[in-house]
Amino acid sequence: MTADYAELHCLSNFSFQRGASSADELFARARQHGYQALAITDECTLAGIVRAWEASKAHGIPLIVGSEMQVESGPRLVLLAEDKTGYQRLCQLITNARRRTEKGSYQLLRDDLETDTSGLLALWLPEPEPDPQHGEWLRTRFDQRLWLAVELHHGPDDAQRLEQLLGLVRQLEIPAVASGDVHMHARGRRALQDTLTAIRHHCTLEEAGHRLFPNGERHLRPLQQLARLYPPALLQATVEIARRCRFDLGDLKYQYPRELVPADHTPSSWLRHLTEEGIAWRWPQGISSELRAQLDKELTLISELEYESYFLTVHDIVRFARGQGILCQGRGSAANSAVCFALGITEIDPARSNLLFERFLSRERNEPPDIDVDFEHERREEVIQYIFNRYGRRRAALAAVVSSYHAAGAIRDVGKALGLPPDQVDALARCCNRWSDRIPDAQRLREAGFDPDSPVLHRVLTLCGQLIGFPRHLSQHPGGFVISEQPLDTLVPVENAAMEDRTVIQWDKDDLDAVGLLKVDVLALGMLTALRRCFDLVRHYRGRELTLATIPAGDEPTYSMISQADTIGVFQIESRAQMSMLPRLRPRRFYDLVIEVAIVRPGPIQGDMVHPYLRRRNGEEEVSYPSPALKKVLERTLGVPLFQEQVMEIAIVAAGYSAGEADQLRRSMAAWKRKGGLEPHRDKLTQGMLERGYTREFAERLFEQIKGFGDYGFPESHAASFALLTYASSWLKCHEPAAFACALINSWPMGFYSPDQILQDARRHGIETWPVDVRYSDWDCTLEHDRKGEYGIRLGLRMIRGFREDDAHRLVATRQRQGFTSVEELALRSQLSRRAMELLADAGALRGLAGHRHQARWAVAGVQEPLPLFTEAPTQAEQGVALPLPSIGENLMADYALVGTTMGPHPLRLLRSQLKARGCRSSKQLKQMKDNTYVKVAGLVTGRQRPGTASGVTFVTLEDEHGMINVVVWRTLAERQRKELVHSQLLQVQGKLEHKEGIRHLIASRLTDLTPMLQGLDTRSRDFH
Amino acid sequence: MRWACILLTRLALDGVQRGRDDADAPLVLVSGHVPRRLIRAVNAQARALGLRPGMSLTAAQTLVTDFAVAEYDEQQISHWQHFLAAWAYRYSSHVSLDYPHALLLEVESSLGLFGPWPRFEQRLREDLTGLGFQHRIVLAPNPAAARALTNVHDGLAVMDSLALREHIQRLPIQRSGLDAQSVATLSRMGLKQLGQILRLPRDTLARRFPAEVLAHLDRLLGVLPVALGSYQPADEFVARIEFNFEVDSHQALLFPIRRLLLDLQAFLAGRDCSVQRFELTLEHRDHEPTCLPIGLLSAERDAQQLFEVTRSRLEQLQLPEPVLAVRLRASDLPAFTPKPVSLLEERPPPVQPWDQLRERLRARLGDEAIHGLVAVADHRPECAWRRDTEGAGMPPAQLGKRPGWLLAEPEPLNELVPEILAGPERIESGWWDGADRRRDYYVVRTRDGRLAWVWQAVDGQGPWMLHGWFA
Repeated sequence: MTADYAELHCLSNFSFQRGASSADELFARARQHGYQALAITDECTLAGIVRAWEASKAHGIPLIVGSEMQVESGPRLVLLAEDKTGYQRLCQLITNARRRTEKGSYQLLRDDLETDTSGLLALWLPEPEPDPQHGEWLRTRFDQRLWLAVELHHGPDDAQRLEQLLGLVRQLEIPAVASGDVHMHARGRRALQDTLTAIRHHCTLEEAGHRLFPNGERHLRPLQQLARLYPPALLQATVEIARRCRFDLGDLKYQYPRELVPADHTPSSWLRHLTEEGIAWRWPQGISSELRAQLDKELTLISELEYESYFLTVHDIVRFARGQGILCQGRGSAANSAVCFALGITEIDPARSNLLFERFLSRERNEPPDIDVDFEHERREEVIQYIFNRYGRRRAALAAVVSSYHAAGAIRDVGKALGLPPDQVDALARCCNRWSDRIPDAQRLREAGFDPDSPVLHRVLTLCGQLIGFPRHLSQHPGGFVISEQPLDTLVPVENAAMEDRTVIQWDKDDLDAVGLLKVDVLALGMLTALRRCFDLVRHYRGRELTLATIPAGDEPTYSMISQADTIGVFQIESRAQMSMLPRLRPRRFYDLVIEVAIVRPGPIQGDMVHPYLRRRNGEEEVSYPSPALKKVLERTLGVPLFQEQVMEIAIVAAGYSAGEADQLRRSMAAWKRKGGLEPHRDKLTQGMLERGYTREFAERLFEQIKGFGDYGFPESHAASFALLTYASSWLKCHEPAAFACALINSWPMGFYSPDQILQDARRHGIETWPVDVRYSDWDCTLEHDRKGEYGIRLGLRMIRGFREDDAHRLVATRQRQGFTSVEELALRSQLSRRAMELLADAGALRGLAGHRHQARWAVAGVQEPLPLFTEAPTQAEQGVALPLPSIGENLMADYALVGTTMGPHPLRLLRSQLKARGCRSSKQLKQMKDNTYVKVAGLVTGRQRPGTASGVTFVTLEDEHGMINVVVWRTLAERQRKELVHSQLLQVQGKLEHKEGIRHLIASRLTDLTPMLQGLDTRSRDFH
Repeated sequence: MRWACILLTRLALDGVQRGRDDADAPLVLVSGHVPRRLIRAVNAQARALGLRPGMSLTAAQTLVTDFAVAEYDEQQISHWQHFLAAWAYRYSSHVSLDYPHALLLEVESSLGLFGPWPRFEQRLREDLTGLGFQHRIVLAPNPAAARALTNVHDGLAVMDSLALREHIQRLPIQRSGLDAQSVATLSRMGLKQLGQILRLPRDTLARRFPAEVLAHLDRLLGVLPVALGSYQPADEFVARIEFNFEVDSHQALLFPIRRLLLDLQAFLAGRDCSVQRFELTLEHRDHEPTCLPIGLLSAERDAQQLFEVTRSRLEQLQLPEPVLAVRLRASDLPAFTPKPVSLLEERPPPVQPWDQLRERLRARLGDEAIHGLVAVADHRPECAWRRDTEGAGMPPAQLGKRPGWLLAEPEPLNELVPEILAGPERIESGWWDGADRRRDYYVVRTRDGRLAWVWQAVDGQGPWMLHGWFA
């Protein structure tokens, strides 16, 4: 008969670089050994406690919530939460200790424990030479709640140690308890634990020396072994303590902030009130009875699920942004509702789309509403600061993101710890695909010159296999806010983020869901900045007031522009892959855009859903449904599942999933790469579908698609919101092309194309552009009338690389105030530094004051600091010198180097005669050529992409004076001509032209590097990632 | 004055390549820290593969997999520059290292000896080629011009100031040796050659450029003199004695060696320094020279003492072939510190000092025989200390109760059930270097009453192994 035991001191892998097992492994092992309970006591953190709680429920072993901490110049101890009060105290202690120091460390002071610690039990972890004063101090702090932890690990003399500690216990009159200082679930993790120790100390294992544990005893040991080590009373004490700890994470109750609701309202009545206000604003002429019914239905559902406060919270944030003129747009499961339109959270008029609110917020699927709100990327910080100010830092914080080890990171850390030379570690890490969670296979390693059978490499790879997926550190969520009525640190510890003035809670998004906390995503989107700027420009120059909601819907010219893939600069559908889809899909209405946005994604591509959809849409294939039941689910996408929501619905309708199981599936989809857990669904889905008479092939395809969604889950609810921005930006490009291009450039960096490419596109559309000129340019690019009275684009000073914004503002102010007639006046009156003046000269912006670039540079160099008192006195005259006129080539080079674009001829136009002599065709000539012709072309390489979805293919984009040429380079050619592929700036391609359905690709068969012809032209290429 | 500039165009590469036997393999030199390793130099084979200086090593490895990588080491570069300066010193007493990757030789005074110039130049080139260093050579009336002109010329000899002006005017600004900032500014003004600048009014230039620019132009034209530092040969003692006959006994070597050591003593005395280690090289007819490094644990300069040490080392030596010459080289020459001698003590102390004893023991028994001990932080007892030849060791830190000395190899304990006094102390460590130990250690009393440190495998199986005795 062995004694009962509960482990009270155990670290999981959320004690970063210390714990060598996950909570799941620990609980599984604790159950195997028949432990009564398991405390997870990660060092000064509760970041892993939600996972521990889930593991505890899964394995049926009670969890005790606790934490191990080192008091500064004091004892080391373990605190265990006895009840909810204790838990709250623990959260506050951890918060205090963490907030005091920078991210990743903590400082717990004796004073922190001089406060009320009721509800917390303490285990004192004595040093090798225990300090009785520590014990006495702790005894006063934790009267009747303190134990001395006896931890025996087959040290030099355990018997003597036990005697020493028992003597101390008698002397101090405190009870003793056995505990294990557990760092891993089983002895087999000893190597990993040693490795983590070396990683933590930034040294190799060899150097780690005595910082390593002498043996692997710090694991969950079987009860018989413990019974041999410890006197029974010490084991009995563990069970008694475990019995006292009654706290369960499920007891936590989250409350929404209350202040959003006036005293005489309930959340429900206030939401209704605000919705009514919104109705009057959105539909001044009144609403139809249909819409009224829709709104009522939505409000009832929201009320039923008690989500009013969530909508109110989001509304409050959006209201602030609108008041500040910050453009925003909500998306997500609940965002595309009539209520959200009325509240201003979304700009999608419910009348305009055929989206159903229930699809996004459903009674059956008990998933929390999810609204992400995108804001202008340059002004999101204002919104974040508003939230912090409104609710205070104690009640609002960002959610954390648990960064875990990917293959490459694991190899780097493990390789270093095992003492591999840095170059080798680097080469080894590069054998892993980015973000891959699998260690590279033997084949790949041999190619890179490694012997996978060597013992060292074998060790590295084995350990990496164990380490991958381990949490590594906490970082901040890009914009997920948790806001609560009570101070957050009574729910979860709060710590500092790496960014100054940011605090994050210790839980990530999945943890929040499990504990029922709601988060609001405040995200940044560059296109919103560009759209707002464009609206401003249109208002300023045309006097026309446009908003996302009031841009005319269903505009014929806009759709035909989209269908011709004339979409450079447009949101979402400007990438090459998207562009090649447009002429095939030919969107004619809003919902087509929703599909377009969602279809060029890994999910549909991997699930092979794209081509069937296109064929059906073009009438080449009959629209059919796997079953009548699925018709309802799939009708809007012609029988082909394209959206995440449809996949879930299919699981319910066709595979017999319950709503809850479907939700499980959704979570697994998002997390399968990290945690696995999707395979069980394969069997279950296939089984369920076969039982209901579907084909195995359909089931397989659906499963592939689910895996694809894991990479880039793309739900219809998000696609709809994005499609609105796509439409708005397309409309502006179609009807206000100059303003649109101007706004895009002013919002750069964003989107897919450089300002140079946007300007070239604008010029191809007949828009005039003018160079940077101190006489006319502002900081931003602006609009000016051309001779025909149309608007063209004047480049702004922001285009000059390295020119500072405040310098530009001073320059413009001087120009407006007193003007300048010489380089000297400009420099002195605007207080521009020599460097700023040189930039202006080199950029050609001084042409009106000093002539060409060379002359301007000479003039700038001659500007002398005036003597005090004589600020406006002319400096001494000097004899004029004549400097060589810049050649066209020199001007071109200077344009690209300084401004990133040129108003002069395109470099390829200068080279055209040479290229013609080589037999190269232009992109314009290519348009006249038939499918399947062999041609030779040349262009500046502006893009090289190797998408993960297209195995081994590199897509190269060439640019010449007339436009772009899309080149496809297959793997074999890429390997053979890697040098040309990777290094050419000016590339000649011979190959076969494929021309189908308005899409042209050149399939390369031979590459030639013509870069020397450019003589150092600065063309910036978007390289592989 | 006439100055020859030897520009060492591939100094770093040539230096590295000298030490490698794969001259035909592509080689790149890199610097910087992982993962931002940058290629600094490439040889012709690597260039043919598309590798270029300025490329990151990562980018290079994605391009080509099979090429050799070595460190771009500033110290090595400086070493080779000094090495070549020592070589050049035989042609000119004024050799300057002031310009990086180049040697400047004042040759006017050497022309009588080695000239005329074309022959002299030929000689320099032959030597350099033989040594394996690529180069460009230009002769000019002043060192600044010679250096700048090597940027664009090889084999040019400028004899008078008229020709000099001509060449300087044609010099591209980019390669004129002006500072990068001024070069950038000048080319932004559309100026390409020095001649264009020289034609501009001097005051307008002075207003626009730092004084150094005009000064550099003046130096190039020889208007302003250039003061160059002068290379001094290294401080070391090298001496060689060649025999007229083949020496095949140790005994016969002792005399010349004693002479060399006396010379060394004189040399050391002249510089007030002592010697820490030196190298004796015995040259043979066919066989590789026999090299005998002699290290002293403390610096000495007494020839008798040095001779004692040398002799005892020599006696252990097997000569592979008769000796034709001996060479002595001493480069580690610390300052001399006299031994403290008590004021009142007239006779030396009768006991041999530890330093001398140690030296003698080492000389007699070999370098390997005498060593210190240092503690190593490792849980495995047999790895917890290691030998240390430099200086005195530190006593191993005590971890638990361990014997002061371990058996070289654990051996079976000839007892079935010893009396256990303490333990088990479990040691599980060392998996990373292939010597994973998993043992339970016990302090036991053997039947004959001795205290022993023994272990058993962690699973409790296997024999008791004795690892050490407690004193």
